[in-house]
Amino acid sequence: MSNVSKKEFIHTYVQLPSVFPENFKELRLQAKISLDNTAFPTKKDEEWRFTDLKSITANKFESVKSGMLQASLELDEYHLPEARHSRLVFIDGNFSPAHSVVEGMPDGVIVGNLNKFSKHEKLRSHLGTITNYEEDVFVPLNDVNFQDGTFIYVPKETFIEQPIHILNVFTDLENPYYVTPRVLFVGEMYSKATIIEEHIGLSNNIYLNIPVNEFRLYRGAHVHHARIQRDSKNASHISRPVAMLDAHAEYHSYTICLGAKLFRNEPRVIQNAEEVDFTVDGLVLIDGEQIADTHSIMDHRFSHGNSHQLHKVVVNDQAHSIFNGKIFVAKDAQKIDSFQENRNLLISDTGKVNTKPQLEIFADDVRCSHGATIGQLQDEEVFYLQSRGLTEQKSRELLVYAFALESVESMAVKSVEELLLKEVIAYTNRD
Amino acid sequence: MLEIRNLHAVVEGEELKILKGVNLTVNKGEIHAIMGPNGSGKSTLSKVVSGHPEYEVTEGTILFDGKDITEMDADERAHLGLFLAFQYPVEVPGITNKTLLREAYNTIARANEREELDPLEFEDYLVSKLDIIDMKDEFLNRSINTGFSGGEKKKNEIFQMAVLNPRLSFLDETDSGLDIDALKVVSGGVNKISSPENAIVMITHYQRLLNYIKPDFVHVMMNGKIVKSGDISLAEELEANGYDHMQKELA
Repeated sequence: MSNVSKKEFIHTYVQLPSVFPENFKELRLQAKISLDNTAFPTKKDEEWRFTDLKSITANKFESVKSGMLQASLELDEYHLPEARHSRLVFIDGNFSPAHSVVEGMPDGVIVGNLNKFSKHEKLRSHLGTITNYEEDVFVPLNDVNFQDGTFIYVPKETFIEQPIHILNVFTDLENPYYVTPRVLFVGEMYSKATIIEEHIGLSNNIYLNIPVNEFRLYRGAHVHHARIQRDSKNASHISRPVAMLDAHAEYHSYTICLGAKLFRNEPRVIQNAEEVDFTVDGLVLIDGEQIADTHSIMDHRFSHGNSHQLHKVVVNDQAHSIFNGKIFVAKDAQKIDSFQENRNLLISDTGKVNTKPQLEIFADDVRCSHGATIGQLQDEEVFYLQSRGLTEQKSRELLVYAFALESVESMAVKSVEELLLKEVIAYTNRD
Repeated sequence: MLEIRNLHAVVEGEELKILKGVNLTVNKGEIHAIMGPNGSGKSTLSKVVSGHPEYEVTEGTILFDGKDITEMDADERAHLGLFLAFQYPVEVPGITNKTLLREAYNTIARANEREELDPLEFEDYLVSKLDIIDMKDEFLNRSINTGFSGGEKKKNEIFQMAVLNPRLSFLDETDSGLDIDALKVVSGGVNKISSPENAIVMITHYQRLLNYIKPDFVHVMMNGKIVKSGDISLAEELEANGYDHMQKELA
């Protein structure tokens, strides 16, 4: 049976802005060329073969006009106490000064919105420089469309003590719409910061969320980056977080996937000099018909790098998890120590897991280990707890909770840890 | 307290009978020992009595305080006061001893309409039981059996028994893999828990454990049945002559 499908472009599924936003014209013009020449992915593309994109292709997404801000929106319940003086809020992609607060930052630190600092030299010299995804339509879409975004600049030897909370909120706009959040982080030599990036759907509506993050860490800079995805259960979320690290830099990221009908996360960490250390951990808790797909790259281009990836997944109902973890080690990038593990727990008979570690190593003196497991709860474990008086349901919940806990405990911020514990309990207590 | 009548059991979905008509009566205040060679069905008996879903009862009944528990789930049996100390205690990473025991204790209390303990009260209660098996406080905050030595796992079973205070406990090969010091601690713990109000059934291959916990009754199990019952002298006879000798004698 021949099945010749014609190429589709992103214009088929999203309404591009008729006029580009004023700032960053050059970046947008470049991106527009990519968009016009790059086909929208299908299952025939190797990198998308397991991922059902129906929740995007079944819709036509409108762009959100700037200035549609709901200034009266009540968001207190999403505030983190540790970040009460360091919070940036974006509502449907628009920066909301009324909900945001930045106080008491050390000298020279910038925590603000992209538009406000659009002329800043550090912003201009970094924006769009490390987000080179191949054959890609999503970064260019973000490039042409982002209305605003986050700009964080940490000067040399500066330590921001309070975590910075970037809160992306999605309201209940009726028609399907798309939003392209953007974060640019520049950490100068020996600076230090903690970033909590959160995506929250306030309703169950359909939207498409396409965040792009650029984290540029210079020599000895340290960053903890927690990403919490609590999008609407009908949303689609395609994420492109990139970090580039110079010598002695450390970047530790933890992504928690709870919401969205379709979640595709493509974290990339690029080792740009010798001696770096990074983490790309993840926890995925999905049920119903959710799809959560992580395609990560740990890209070691120089010697003496440590990287660590623990990706834990719990799948219930008909949900589907996909993991493709690439570790690249360039020729001459010796003494790399890289660890990757994907552990999947299937708690229904109908859930689905695809997992593929992918190591491409061209150096000969490295230590790279990887492992993938797919398992169910062990009957013997359930019986053990049940014989102590716990109901079968409670025993299963406790075992799932214990499985997920390991990832949550590595959160650097107390209130985030508590929030996630609540989410884990809610997930395991669902019925 | 416990009355097992003509109990037959198979592994769920299989034909081969492992228990072939077991009869056993245990009254409160009694300590029983069930001895037998490997494959005689003695461990299976303890699992069937505690409600392991891997086994199916094909004939006979298990009565506890006159109530038929043959078809009950394991947790309901625990609520009535049954306890199984596992031959191979299960490792559960990520859940601490304390978490499990508080959940278990309060679930059993609720089922029996007794008062639950709040976290602070429970902590005190737990600490008060540590002496029984000579363990330190840190033990409470470790993940269940995870990375425990063989001896620590067995001690943990007896600790759980002390905390949950069951009315009838099956101890499945509790002595296996214990060195002499650990055996003394574990058996000492069992003796402290033992009272005129509860009952204990020890499952063991060797007579060694019976030097430390004195049974009132000794049963010999072979080929899925209890073939002989008596007092401690039966264990001594077995120790002297072995199971083969007894088998021939019975034949």
